[in-house]
Amino acid sequence: MNNADASHPAIRTIDVVKVFDGGLVRALDGVSLAVQRGEFVAVMGPSGCGKSTLLHLIAALDKPTSGVIEVNGQDLRSSVNLDRFRRNEIGLVFQLHNLLPHLTALQNVEIAMFSNGRGHGEQRARARELLQAMDLEKREHVAPPKLSGGERQRLAVARALANDPPILLADEPTGSLDTAAVENFLGLLQRIRQERHVTVLLVTHDTHVAAAADRVVHMRDGRIVSEQAA
Amino acid sequence: MSFAALILRNVLSRKTRSILTAVAVAVGITTVVVLGVLTHSLKRTAISVLRTGTADFTVAQKGVSDVLYSSVDQSEVDQIRAQPQVESAVGVLVAAIGLDSDHPFFLELGMPPQDLMPFGVQIVDGRAYNADATNEIMLGYRAARDFHKSVGDTFTIEGTTFNIVGIFSTGQVFGDQASMMPLPTLQARERKPNTVTLVFIQAMPGADIDSLRKSIEHDMPELATVRTASEFGRIDRNLSLISAANVGVSLLALVIGAIGVMNTMIMSVFERTREFGVLRAVGWTRRRVLALVLAESLVVGLTGAVIGVIAGVVAIEQLGRVPELVGVFQPDYTVDIFARALGIAVGMAFIGALYPAVRAALLLPLNALRHE
Repeated sequence: MNNADASHPAIRTIDVVKVFDGGLVRALDGVSLAVQRGEFVAVMGPSGCGKSTLLHLIAALDKPTSGVIEVNGQDLRSSVNLDRFRRNEIGLVFQLHNLLPHLTALQNVEIAMFSNGRGHGEQRARARELLQAMDLEKREHVAPPKLSGGERQRLAVARALANDPPILLADEPTGSLDTAAVENFLGLLQRIRQERHVTVLLVTHDTHVAAAADRVVHMRDGRIVSEQAA
Repeated sequence: MSFAALILRNVLSRKTRSILTAVAVAVGITTVVVLGVLTHSLKRTAISVLRTGTADFTVAQKGVSDVLYSSVDQSEVDQIRAQPQVESAVGVLVAAIGLDSDHPFFLELGMPPQDLMPFGVQIVDGRAYNADATNEIMLGYRAARDFHKSVGDTFTIEGTTFNIVGIFSTGQVFGDQASMMPLPTLQARERKPNTVTLVFIQAMPGADIDSLRKSIEHDMPELATVRTASEFGRIDRNLSLISAANVGVSLLALVIGAIGVMNTMIMSVFERTREFGVLRAVGWTRRRVLALVLAESLVVGLTGAVIGVIAGVVAIEQLGRVPELVGVFQPDYTVDIFARALGIAVGMAFIGALYPAVRAALLLPLNALRHE
């Protein structure tokens, strides 16, 4: 579904509402947001403000109660193959990394490429290339539990980029990292943007991380309350 | 990393659970193999008794618990012989005795000497016994070899000493391991006057054997005719019961094994909920998740099948050494038995994993990722 039409924003949400528990919890209350191609947008706000929910809806991990979500001009409500969408259009990085502990670093990247039409050899070469880009080439046979927090996060980024997605979505990616690792991660993010022209939407509590973005969106009680250039 | 490699990796990452589940499958498969081989081998042994000689089919009393308990009156043999399409009808009394610990199941066949040739018995050494001799016997050449006996020697059965007058061959292993004596002599020994166990029928050339069998069964409804191994149950209920037990135990093994596999796979899927969420989040399809869980179960099931077959063969070999079964039970391994064991193992794995696999495939990615 990779839509090459550059006239559309990479991500656009129009009046998105998401309620839980039969309407008792209104996580998103009419969120409209546009993220341009190649832009780095940070979403900030207190816990429970709906920023992670917004990210999950854009990642097609959940469906909005109402409203429109378009990614690369494609409305996710239409007959989009969401498996293919998640595989090819977005890369997801989680705070807790969500790596598979019984697989090696290399295998953790490779599993994201199943069904992408490439042969095993090509998948392995691509995984190695990404591990090298993340300075993990010497750790490819190490399982995640034996990697440091920073290494695990870089591995999670490598997996997110496995299918060369145009959009990277990161949910509190630095939440479990120390200061040095956060700096490394931000440097890595900038490098990825320059080399791969990836659009980044990042949810964070950390103002230092948000400061690295092109634009910061503030949320409260399920609404966007302000936007500012970083 | 290939999909197959991931499946193996996942199975091996939970070694203890995988091994225990495979053992549970193996127990079921061992039972299936042992009972399958046992039933088949006993059937083969039984049918080899019926096929001794050159008969087109065999007649026995219907529905006895064991074929050796069949009782056919000699007048009925004469009645069968009188049928127009019958070339020969040889009535044979069969008795089984335990000679010693090495020969707990030794067959004695009683039949008139004039019926030896029509029955297909070839005398390879010596001569046939006389029709009214009470102390003459012939040994099958395999029995003679086993007992190191030849023509002119004596042979003692349950305190009675016989002179060996001939060595014979029937072309059937079971018959060649037996002894033969005049029919009245064996009838007297067994206290079964005017009675035979089996009647071996040879039809006229070109005769319609099926209609002949129907005619005999119509005229003598207490008798049954048998031509193939699958028909043997008509005259031997024990074997029918063993066959039925075999089917029942196979089904039971399938159900118990499937429940064991299901228990393991449900636990596994529950524990790996977050993992499935990750896989779905990186673009795995529901079908691929389904295939992953089913294939992992299949690997465990097939491992159990291999262990079960090996254990089954070992158990059968040990069973063949049980004194009571020496001579009766000669293990006969057929492709069918192993194919059925394999089919049951695959069935256990598939049925057991189906629900957990569907459950894993239907997980909503976000809910799965939030699972603690």
